[in-house]
Amino acid sequence: MGVQQAVLGARSVSKAFFGNPVLREVSIELVAGRIHALLGENGAGKSTLINLLSGTLRPDSGDILVDGHPIASLTPQEAHALGIAVVQQELSLAPHLSIAENIGLGAYPRRGGIVDYGRLAAAVAEIAKELELIEPLDMAVGRLPLGRRQIVEIAKALYIKPRVLILDEPTSSLSAPDVAILMKLVRRLRDRGVAILYISHRLNEILDFCETVTVLKDGSVTADRPLAGLGPNGLVRLMVGRDPRNLFPPYASRSTGALVLETKGFRAAGAIDVDFELCRGEILGIGGLVGHGQEDFMMGLYGAIRAEAEEFRVFADGVAARSAPFATVAEANAAGIAYVPADRRKEGLLLPHSIDFNLLLPLFASRSLERRRGVEETAITERLAQRLNIRGDRRRPAQALSGGNQQKVALSKWLALEPSVLLLNDPTRGVDVETKREIYLALRAMAAEGKAVVLLSSDTPELVHLCDRVMVFNKGRVAATLPHVEASEEAIVAAAMGVRNAPTLEGEPV
Amino acid sequence: MLGQGARLYWAIQWRRNEGLGALFLVLVVFAVIYAGLFPGILAVGAMAKFVQGWFPTAMVAAAETIVMLTGGIDLSVGPMVSLGSVVAASTMQGPLGILGGVLALLALGTGVGAIVGAFVAIGRYPAIIVTLALSFVLRGVALLIMPRPGGFVPPSLSEFLAGSHPTAAFLLVLLIILWKLYQATPLGIGLIAVGDNAEGAYRSGVSVTTVRMSAYILSANLQAFTGLYVAAQTGSGDPLIGEPLTLAAIAAAVLGGVGFLGGQGAMRGALAGSLLMSILINVMFFMGLPLVAQYVVQGLIIVATVSLPLIRTSLRRAS
Repeated sequence: MGVQQAVLGARSVSKAFFGNPVLREVSIELVAGRIHALLGENGAGKSTLINLLSGTLRPDSGDILVDGHPIASLTPQEAHALGIAVVQQELSLAPHLSIAENIGLGAYPRRGGIVDYGRLAAAVAEIAKELELIEPLDMAVGRLPLGRRQIVEIAKALYIKPRVLILDEPTSSLSAPDVAILMKLVRRLRDRGVAILYISHRLNEILDFCETVTVLKDGSVTADRPLAGLGPNGLVRLMVGRDPRNLFPPYASRSTGALVLETKGFRAAGAIDVDFELCRGEILGIGGLVGHGQEDFMMGLYGAIRAEAEEFRVFADGVAARSAPFATVAEANAAGIAYVPADRRKEGLLLPHSIDFNLLLPLFASRSLERRRGVEETAITERLAQRLNIRGDRRRPAQALSGGNQQKVALSKWLALEPSVLLLNDPTRGVDVETKREIYLALRAMAAEGKAVVLLSSDTPELVHLCDRVMVFNKGRVAATLPHVEASEEAIVAAAMGVRNAPTLEGEPV
Repeated sequence: MLGQGARLYWAIQWRRNEGLGALFLVLVVFAVIYAGLFPGILAVGAMAKFVQGWFPTAMVAAAETIVMLTGGIDLSVGPMVSLGSVVAASTMQGPLGILGGVLALLALGTGVGAIVGAFVAIGRYPAIIVTLALSFVLRGVALLIMPRPGGFVPPSLSEFLAGSHPTAAFLLVLLIILWKLYQATPLGIGLIAVGDNAEGAYRSGVSVTTVRMSAYILSANLQAFTGLYVAAQTGSGDPLIGEPLTLAAIAAAVLGGVGFLGGQGAMRGALAGSLLMSILINVMFFMGLPLVAQYVVQGLIIVATVSLPLIRTSLRRAS
C-alpha cells in the first residue's frame, strides 16, 4: 500500500468538545477499491472521526484531505458534491417523507426549479432493485420497521454515486437476509473502485471482508495495519490494550452471601430471560455494548418500564418480601431500591434548583404533606454532602457544579433513603479522573456497609477492577457471568461481541 | 397512461391524506347540515360571500402551517394581519395607489419574515418566544400608525376582492396551485425534512437555514396580504382587527393534523380545518347561539375532531 493515492483521508486531526479531547492527532487514509475497518470501543472517537470526514464537524487542528489536497472547511453539501456518502447509526431520514423523497434528499434532479419526479423515480428504482428494496417508493419512511429504514439510509448514500462510502454500524439493526444483501453490495462497490470505511462491532464481518484496520482507543490511533494474520482475539487485544492506571481502590470483596434480590426468567423490553441474584455487600457489574438490553434490564428492575419474571424475590432481613417485579418506581424506592440514571442533567437532577433541594428530593416522596423543617433538612444534606465529599455552598443551583460533582449529588441524594440496593447507570461517564476515584471509593464504602450495588458501565476497566461479578449482555441475553478472577477486559469485550471460547470464532450469527 | 414520475408524485400526494379521514368526514357532515339549514348558501352569490368570510382564516391557517411544518410556530399572526391592514389602508392613499400598497405589504412581509427567520434559523431562538415578543411589537406599531380604524382602500379594490365576484375563491385556488408548486421544489420538500429531522436533513446536504428562512418569509407575506384582504372587506384599516386570527390559525392547523413538533401534516388538512371552523361559526350564528356558547362549541369540536384519530389508534392497540 502507500503507492495508491488516498481518495479521502485525515492528517493528524484533533477535536475536543468543551475542553474534553475526543480525538488526538488521528490519521487515516481511505483508498479506492479497498474496504477499511474502523474499530474501537464506545466513546473511542469513531463517530467524531466520521463526522470530520463527512464535513459535519470541523477539526480543531489537522487536515481533511480529498485526493491528497487539504480542504479548508468541508461542509456536508461539499462532501456530497465530492462523492462522500455516510450511512450513520443515527438515521438521517425524515419519517414523514416518502422513500423516494428521502433517498433523493439534498440532491434532487430538477427541471426549472421543480423536482423532476420522473428522473428521481428512475434513479431510485435502479438503486431499490440493487438493494432489493421492495416497498412502494411512495410509502412514508415512518411506516417502515427500523431494519428497512436502514436499507433506505444505505440507498440514500448510493444515490449520490459515492466515491467514498462510510458505513457506521450498518448491520446493527439488519436482519440476516438484509445483511447478506448489504455484504454483496459492499463488495460490488469495492470492485467498482469505491473507497469504503466500515465500522462494525461484529468482528467476524470485519475479518470477513475488510483488508485494513485502524483501531481507535481513547481518541488515539493504536493500530493501523493490514488485517491479514489477525484473529478475533487479536482484534480484541488491539481495542483494549492499555495500562490500567492507579485509579481503582484495591479490590476486596465485601459480599456476604445473603440475598437481597433474586429473579429468574426476567424480561423487560430488550432484556430477555435474565437470571439474576444479588447479595448484600456485593458490587455486581453489568457490561455489554450499548443497546444490548442491559439498560432495559435495569429500568425493569426498578419499575420504570414494564417487566415480567417467572420468579422475583426481594429480601428484607433475610425474608422474601415480594414476588412480582415492581410496577412503579415509587414501589421500588419504598422497597429500598434506588436508581441513579446515566443522564444526570436530564434525569438525575433539577438543574436550576439548589444542591440542597436536589439532595432532599427523594425524601419528599414519603413526606408529602409534612411541614418542612429547615434545621432537620440541613442536618440531612450536611451528612449526605460529607459522604460523597460535596464541597462548597449547597444553596448554589446544581447547574453551577462540574459534571463530576453533579454526578456526586445525583448519587448521594438516594443515600438519604438508606436503600439496600443501588442501581447505577454509567455513573462515571464524562466524569474527570479525580471524581471517578471518589465515586469508586464511595461505592466500595457502600458495599462495606452491606448495601448491594449494581454498576452498569461502558467503561470496561471499572467492571474489571471494582466488581465481584460481571454480567455481560449480548443481544438482550446474559452472554456470560464472570467472577472477579475471570473478568479481564479481554473476556468482557469478547463476551460483549459474542465471541465465545477463543481462539475459534463461533456462536456469532450473521 | 401516467409517466413514472407523475405516478410517483400523485401516489405520494395521495398518501398525505392518511389520518385526515376523520376531519374530512366531520367537514362533510357539517357542510351538509349547513346546506340543509340554509339552502340559500348554494347560490353563487351566497357562496362567494361565504368564501369571503372563510378566506382570511384560510390564509392565516396556511401561513401557520408553513411555519409549523418546519417545527416552529407563529404567535404573531393576528397582530401581523392588523398591521398589514393598517399599512394597506395608509399607503394606498399615496401617489402610487394600489401598487404602492402592494409594494409596501411585500416589504413588510419580507422584512418581518426575515427578522423572525434570522432569530429562529440563524440565532436558534425558540420560535414561540420570538413570535410572542414580536406580537407585542407589531401590535404596538399598528396602533402607532393608526390609533383607531381609518385610512382608505380604493372602493374598486374592495369591490374586486370582497364584492359580488367570487374573487376569493379564485385566489384560494391560485394559492393552492402555488403551494403545490412550492412543495415540489427542494425547498418545499425541505420544509418537512427539516421539521422531521433537522440534523439528518443538514447531513443530507439540505440547507436548513435557507429552508427555515424562506418558510418564515413566505408565511409573513401571506399574513401581510391577509391584512390587505381584511382592509378591503371593511374599506379601511383597523389596528386590532386581526387579533382573533392568531388562535384561529393555530386551531385550524391543529384541527388539520399539523403537528407541533414539525414534519407532520399537510396544507389540505389546515385548509379543511379552517373551513370547518368557518362553517361552524356560520351555522351557530344563523341558529342564534349567543357568542359565548359559540366559543364553547368551537372548542369542543376542535377537541373532538383531534381526538378521533387518537381514539381509533388506542382502540386498535387494545384489540
